[in-house]
Amino acid sequence: MRPAAQGGGLDHFWGSRGDGDDGRGGNNSFTHEALTLKYKLDNQFELVFVVGFQKILTLTYVDKLIDDVHKEFRDKYRNEFQQKGTLGLLNGTFDFKDDFMRLLRDAEESSKVRAPTVMKTFEQSLKSQKTVKCMIETRGEKPKEKVKNKKNKGSKKEGTEAVVAPGKASAGDKQLSTAGDREELTKDEILQKNREEFFKRHMKAGEKSSKSPKPEAQKEKGKKPRVWDLGNSNAKVLDYSNSATNGSAEACPVEEFDPDTALGDRNREPGRLYDLEYESDDEAEEEKVIQNPSKPSAKKGGLGGMFGMLKGLVGSKSLTREDMDPVLEKMKDHLIAKNVAAEIAVQLCESVAKKLEGKVMGTFTTVTSTVKQALQEALVQILQPQRRVDVLRDVMDAQRHHRPYVVTFCGVNGVGKSTNLAKISFWLIENGFSVLIAACDTFRAGAVEQLRTHTRRLNTLHPPESHGGRTMVQLYEKGYGKDAAGIAMEAISYARNQGFDVVLVDTAGRMQDNAPLMTALAKLIAVNAPDLVLFVGEALVGNEAVDQLVKFNKALADHSMAQTPRLIDGIVLTKFDTIDDKVGAAISMTYITSKPIVFVGTGQTYCDLRSLNAKAVVAALMKA
Amino acid sequence: MAGRLEPHLEALRRELRAPDPAVLSVLLALLAVAITLLIWRFVQGRRSSRQAVLLLGLCDAGKTLLFARLLTGKYRDTQTSITDSSAVYRVSNDKSANVTLIDLPGHESLRLQFLERFKAAARAIVFVVDSVAFQREVKDVAEFLYQVLVDSTVLKNAPALLIACNKQDVTMAKSAKLIQHQLEKELNTLRVTRSAAPTSLDGSATGGPAQLGKKGKDFDFSQLPMKVEFVECSARGSKGEEGDADFEGLEKWLAKIA
Ligand SMILES: Nc1nc2c(ncn2[C@@H]2O[C@H](COP(=O)(O)OP(=O)(O)OP(=O)(O)O)[C@@H](O)[C@H]2O)c(=O)[nH]1
Ligand SMILES: Nc1nc2c(ncn2[C@@H]2O[C@H](COP(=O)(O)OP(=O)(O)OP(=O)(O)O)[C@@H](O)[C@H]2O)c(=O)[nH]1
Ligand SMILES: [Mg+2]
Ligand SMILES: [Mg+2]
Repeated sequence: MRPAAQGGGLDHFWGSRGDGDDGRGGNNSFTHEALTLKYKLDNQFELVFVVGFQKILTLTYVDKLIDDVHKEFRDKYRNEFQQKGTLGLLNGTFDFKDDFMRLLRDAEESSKVRAPTVMKTFEQSLKSQKTVKCMIETRGEKPKEKVKNKKNKGSKKEGTEAVVAPGKASAGDKQLSTAGDREELTKDEILQKNREEFFKRHMKAGEKSSKSPKPEAQKEKGKKPRVWDLGNSNAKVLDYSNSATNGSAEACPVEEFDPDTALGDRNREPGRLYDLEYESDDEAEEEKVIQNPSKPSAKKGGLGGMFGMLKGLVGSKSLTREDMDPVLEKMKDHLIAKNVAAEIAVQLCESVAKKLEGKVMGTFTTVTSTVKQALQEALVQILQPQRRVDVLRDVMDAQRHHRPYVVTFCGVNGVGKSTNLAKISFWLIENGFSVLIAACDTFRAGAVEQLRTHTRRLNTLHPPESHGGRTMVQLYEKGYGKDAAGIAMEAISYARNQGFDVVLVDTAGRMQDNAPLMTALAKLIAVNAPDLVLFVGEALVGNEAVDQLVKFNKALADHSMAQTPRLIDGIVLTKFDTIDDKVGAAISMTYITSKPIVFVGTGQTYCDLRSLNAKAVVAALMKA
Repeated sequence: MAGRLEPHLEALRRELRAPDPAVLSVLLALLAVAITLLIWRFVQGRRSSRQAVLLLGLCDAGKTLLFARLLTGKYRDTQTSITDSSAVYRVSNDKSANVTLIDLPGHESLRLQFLERFKAAARAIVFVVDSVAFQREVKDVAEFLYQVLVDSTVLKNAPALLIACNKQDVTMAKSAKLIQHQLEKELNTLRVTRSAAPTSLDGSATGGPAQLGKKGKDFDFSQLPMKVEFVECSARGSKGEEGDADFEGLEKWLAKIA
């Protein structure tokens, strides 16, 4: 059984399944270049069936075809899947060509009878069959020739191409099927496409609700200094936005300033976020996972056989949608209660259901535990970054090339852009990199002074004397009302000349619905091409997270001049200290962007900067 | 045997005849517990005699093809893996020794999850590197290798590590020596940046509590607790798909660790 779809397309199907598994899948079809790919999962035998056809064709029989092929293939090779194990699958032959041809003919016939409007001419159908024929391969054929075949056909291809990949019964090799050429689009690109589609969908939905008077409300809210139970007690320290509005440099005399307060307790145990329960949860989970590996080896022995028999006797049950629905409903509510955006909670549960439907449950497991386990895996996978952002690594690279590493911070009002920018400066300076802060918030009163104060404090903590006379941090400011993109550009060239390692660009907060401001941001990013675009979002955000990120990304994409638009590269999740265990925003944000959370802000001192720990966050999410 | 059991059976019989079977049920319960404990020990014992050889590496490194070649000798067309596959591999020279080969997916969003699942069972790890794309992928390769090497379970068990520089049939392929050198350099940098990364949310440093290699010295593989070897191989073989694969070094190594 040789799958015959185009190498590239199928490859990306697999590639994106890898991602799709984490719940971004949504529906079970997507387009790749000129092809539409439809797939069906058989969770019991772990099979994946894919049909690819020209996107412009509206083939009414595809669903029927895929169902028929699924049934026949499963029934024909049921025994192989159940008994032979990986080795059997590796050696086995799955010659399904003739059956497939028959099924395709049947399907085409039936569609002709039922829907004369989409009927094809005789010639066309013949042609399509021919295509299918050379797409479906017999075992003997040399793969190389096949690749050539495919290439030659090129754009003429008109029919359906079906792919049946053997999965594994116990431990199989879904991947031991086929793909020829692997160039064309990369996995990232198809992911991007999927995401774009998601945006489009979302934009439509969002348009109606965008008229809310939220902007003003949020803006006000943002500037109120808050006192959080969990935050450091010296909470006001980093908030200079009010005290400094008079703009005079003397507003905060250095003498008044106590470095220890600004730093917070540098040596305190940073783990205060989580209690012990939490950790033990984690360990229990680990234990469960570890048991798995013994399975493959145990199975081979006589014991394994006995277990198998016992399993058969007890009657292993395969999961149905009805079994799962109540559990899923509960899980969905649980996630929403943990502040995961509702829309995303629904999609997540849906994808878990799809992944589990038909799966044979272990004898001693319950539906609830199975669903929980699957959900947990999906959550960890979402939080595991596609591509890790290693700022220090990249700064070092830039340093070697004698150019500054540029980071742009963006986000809605009052989420903590400037504060966390200062914390990141501190962290960079501690690691020996000099920082130029570009004050590109030329909009909000006090913004520049806020940064000026931070700069001064940072310089007190890291005076040039202790760094070989080098000024470690400097502010590049041009007052208010000027064009932010221009200031950023000047700052970058200033940094290049003065030998700064990093430029941190602070931008004005803006609501995602404020078109002119969003355009300005997109321009700033398009013109200056920063190395890293960080979206700053508060962990307090709920359903809003989706809207914010979708619209920020959309604005960046719309105004990008490059071929592959420059989107958000990473996320700074702030005010994490204020949310207890309602950590859902982390999921919502990574789900939408599939970009990593690079930093987590956990308070208002310079030391309150953390990196995300996926396991800890998932444990907090799953905790009842 | 029977003789020794006699008095016990007698006692049992008497017990059964007695009006109150409470003592018997207590005995039975104790027996059940004892058996469970025995089974548990047995399973535990099995677990600790780690049998698995993990095939790790980035996407398209050639893990699945190596897996198929090792098991069947034949060439197979492969697809990006989305799950693990495992099978018993009989070491060629000795029929009694065998290990379980486990091929793991290399996709970014899957690999850590699968590593997590199988790391405790690992007797040895084959880290497969695409020597052709190495120059381009060096950072990613090093990052994944780093994640494997600083894992506390891996450090504790110290499974033998083989870095298989695959695809040597291609002329552009980098040599094992160069790959080793580059990886050491890259891991050295990673060690610096990772230990400087902000502490993670639950308090542990992101790089794990473990420091890779020796402090204050440039990193090289000999500083690791496990034995690290490099080998050049080709799962495709010099004669293309019909020919045999070219991985004697790998087979020898597997025979050694089995
Ligand atoms: N508890 C807590 N408070 C934070 C954190 N980060 C920022 N804040 C507070 O949030 C408030 C707003 O911070 P700013 O940095 O001024 O926010 P901004 O995004 O720059 O605001 P605009 O420039 O007006 O859009 C300040 O009172 C900060 O002290 C955090 O991680 N935890
Ligand atoms: N030239 C050459 N090609 C190889 C060699 N080994 C593998 N390949 C090819 O590399 C591609 C990827 O091989 P796979 O075995 O699927 O890669 P993988 O490591 O399993 O990748 P994932 O499953 O995505 O993690 C296939 O097209 C193989 O034919 C080799 O030694 N030489
Ligand atoms: Mg600000
Ligand atoms: Mg593979």
